[in-house]
Amino acid sequence: MILSIDTSAGTSVALIEDGVVRAEITVDDNMRHAEVIGETIAKILATTDTKPNQIKVVVAGRGPAPFTGLRVGIAAATMFAAGAGAKLYGISSLDAIAFNELTHGETQPLLVTADARRKEVYWAIYEGLDQDGVPIRTHGPAVNKPQDLEELLKEQNLVTVQAKSPMRASDLGLLAHNLQKANRLDADTSALYLRAADAVEPKPNQRFGKAVSG
Amino acid sequence: MTLHLRRATEADLARIMQLENASFPTDAWPEDSMRFELNGPHTRYFVAFVAPEEQNLIGYGGLAKLQDSPQADIQTIAIGQDSRGKGFGKKLLERLIEEARNQSAEEIFLEVRADNQVAQGLYLSLGFEHIDTRKRYYQPADVDAWVMRLRLEKQNTKEPLVLGIESSCDETGIGIVRGNTLLANVISSSMDLHARFGGVVPEIAARAHLEALQPTLEKALKEAQIELSELDAIAVTNGPGLAGALMVGVGAAKALAVATGKPLYAVNHLVGHVGVDVLERGEVVTPTIALLVSGGHTSLLKVNHLLDDVELLGETIDDAAGEAFDKIARLLDLGYPGGPKIDEQAAKGDPKAIRFPRGLTLPKDMEKHRYDFSFSGLKTAVARWVEVKEAANEPYSIPDVAASFREAVIDVLVSKAINACLDHNIYRLLLGGGVVANARLREVAKAKCKEHGIELRIPAFSLCTDNGAMIAALGAQLVMAGRKPSGLDFGANSTLPVTTVQTP
Repeated sequence: MILSIDTSAGTSVALIEDGVVRAEITVDDNMRHAEVIGETIAKILATTDTKPNQIKVVVAGRGPAPFTGLRVGIAAATMFAAGAGAKLYGISSLDAIAFNELTHGETQPLLVTADARRKEVYWAIYEGLDQDGVPIRTHGPAVNKPQDLEELLKEQNLVTVQAKSPMRASDLGLLAHNLQKANRLDADTSALYLRAADAVEPKPNQRFGKAVSG
Repeated sequence: MTLHLRRATEADLARIMQLENASFPTDAWPEDSMRFELNGPHTRYFVAFVAPEEQNLIGYGGLAKLQDSPQADIQTIAIGQDSRGKGFGKKLLERLIEEARNQSAEEIFLEVRADNQVAQGLYLSLGFEHIDTRKRYYQPADVDAWVMRLRLEKQNTKEPLVLGIESSCDETGIGIVRGNTLLANVISSSMDLHARFGGVVPEIAARAHLEALQPTLEKALKEAQIELSELDAIAVTNGPGLAGALMVGVGAAKALAVATGKPLYAVNHLVGHVGVDVLERGEVVTPTIALLVSGGHTSLLKVNHLLDDVELLGETIDDAAGEAFDKIARLLDLGYPGGPKIDEQAAKGDPKAIRFPRGLTLPKDMEKHRYDFSFSGLKTAVARWVEVKEAANEPYSIPDVAASFREAVIDVLVSKAINACLDHNIYRLLLGGGVVANARLREVAKAKCKEHGIELRIPAFSLCTDNGAMIAALGAQLVMAGRKPSGLDFGANSTLPVTTVQTP
């Protein structure tokens, strides 16, 4: 069984068995990831009568997403896998959104975007599913201002898909199922921040009030 | 509406007497006897209130136990008329039973009026048995007394195996203890990543926590030579600290608890610094004053009971002491972290060369901020002093500046801590936090404590700096006291008060 966890937007946890979604809980609140993550996982196990050691694969949504919430899901996936003795993998959350669109009949190349705050968007371009049922990503993931992105993609004739908030872990889990069948799961669970941490290096040899922040 | 309990003091006497007289109209204790009980060496009294009405005491109860005796006595217990029927009496009684357990009692005795069926029902429900009747014990009402006894099972004789996760600042700490015994204490610090910024950058710290989780856990399990399945409980810091950093630990701990099916305890970081003493001493002897000094905190605590009664006496109103060291080190171009860099220079300098100001020590400040700290004025004073010298092109000694600055910080830290001890008649001081690594702080604290006959505790440095072992140790104390685990829905609280030792 696969447990998938994504906290790119809200908190979403799903349980996938043999390519079927057994249960999914999504909490549409992007301020309370740390509060709800434990209970959400516990409820998924309880409603499906699943013991932690029956879960063999844990998949974390790697974003890109605003950082604070994203980390809660990856941290939880990491420790759940350690505690349950499961294997841990990571998948880009944008790949999961594309997967959902492409398996639901979309055939044209897709531009998937998600709110990156600060008037920017995360984005990636996909041109369909490969033979394993995995989205083929041709560009991204990256973060840009919408107008720059428009410029970049002028006359490319893309279908634009905006990430629905919250992300759904079932998409992530079903994609993981396809990747697992093809033996293509990736152990990299590092967060896709796509931005450096906000921090300004003080200039050397400057004194108080100038170099010192805070 | 939650009931809070704290140790009673003589200041509570008036209100206790009101309750006493109302509850026992014919046989209330005289005020002098009650005062003696509150201050007695072998008695421990607790008072109850419903937050936030801390002044409005609604009940009290007391326990007596001689140090070497296996027997304890419940001296009295009363809940005000208006607050009855809400389960408050039961909570108070449970606290007294726990206190007896903590003092290694094997039996608890009490007397109750033979005609007070409500009280008897409560005692029976908690396992007391009616073992004897004393005829006409209560006078002048001429009522018999039931003597009741509770035999205490030795609780949790097995020392619980607890894993603690700490992520409140820039150290990812995972520690493992068995009862009061340290098995592993692995700390992964992101300090080097912050060096070029001259201070902890919260986002960088949070990123580093996420990356450090798994390797730190593996190392800790290996060091302790245990498997996760053997654990009895998991504990995690849920505040105070940097919100984004705390959330990594909280999310991780919850998932680990669900995956392993182990109870989870959300504990207070600052109280963890105090609780860590159990790992070296077997217990935290209370009451004690605690001075916690790090890059994020400068706090003076009065710890009456490690798990139930911790008070914040004062804290910094601007920078933490460690932060002040970092900033002055940057001013003097000495590097990061500031503490050791300043120390290095200060060792070669004269601490009396320059008289820098001691924050919040003037009489008018002491009125309002007796136990509070302030380092921003000192920081500015050092900066101005250096600026003046540089503008005039006068040479100056960096070691002297470093030594004089360090002396000013340490002088205030230690003298306020000593004041707290003397004012409260508590001749114990415990140090904690990363700044305890500063040799001069330890030296001055030792000298001053010796001068005043105060017993000083300084845990090993690996237990003073932020670490997971202290969180595990505090978690183990909660388990051993029979406390309920926290729910799964607590959050990270960057300003968690020290009065909340465990978040329910």
